[in-house]
Amino acid sequence: MGFEITWRKDVFSDAPQAGSAENYGTLGINFRARKAANEEEWAAAMAALSCEVPAQRSAEAPAEKA
Amino acid sequence: MNDVLREEPALDVGTLRQAIQEEYDEVASHPQKGFHFHTGRPLARMLEYLDEELEGIPESSIESFAGTGNPFSLGELRPGERVVDVGCGAGIDSLVAAKKVTPDGRVIGVDMTPSMLEKARRAAEGAGLKSVEFREGYAEALPVDDGWADVVISNGVLNLMPDKDAALEEMSRVLKPRGRLQIGDILVQKAVPESAKRKIDLWTG
Repeated sequence: MGFEITWRKDVFSDAPQAGSAENYGTLGINFRARKAANEEEWAAAMAALSCEVPAQRSAEAPAEKA
Repeated sequence: MNDVLREEPALDVGTLRQAIQEEYDEVASHPQKGFHFHTGRPLARMLEYLDEELEGIPESSIESFAGTGNPFSLGELRPGERVVDVGCGAGIDSLVAAKKVTPDGRVIGVDMTPSMLEKARRAAEGAGLKSVEFREGYAEALPVDDGWADVVISNGVLNLMPDKDAALEEMSRVLKPRGRLQIGDILVQKAVPESAKRKIDLWTG
């Protein structure tokens, strides 16, 4: 319940070793949520759930030509 | 070469856990070595930990810190509360939490890497914090009773779990009704291809 990302930041830049973080635009985040008080609250939250995820291009996919 | 021959083998959870354990054993044993992530006190500053939160925490714990966020920025831990720290590493977040919930609260730190747990236990002893204990275990099977915790914290760990649903279900199981989840982790802005998800090197680096 109450899922919320409160903070995001590039926390991998300039790390001592190169990694894969840059390839995927990896960010550090803070998020919070809470457990439902009871089954009724959980069921009501599920019934009201709406989640839209924008389509993203795979990191392996070739860039479109101009 | 056709796609079938190029395809990475299915991810073996045991092999992945071993690779992650080896990586974090290095963070415990040789924290100055330099990794593909930042570590230690400079990282804690980057993640906006307060000086007062780190006051009294032994340097041996701070030097092996490898979080990606700051669970304490998400809400206050109150005296008397019970906290579970999933993937506690060398114990920095467990110790910060213990300072906040003392004297009547309790903290259980769980980690799968023995060298990290050893550092965490020594640090707790060094800090004189008796309200914290460390247990060996996996995030997908937390060694904590149902409904024990007011708050579950974790920092830079969930992304290392091959079965994130199982880890989140465990966090929910150990929380009381209305219990809070305060997590630092990572977010990728570009989709990771399925083939890449089967590469152990990508999980650890």
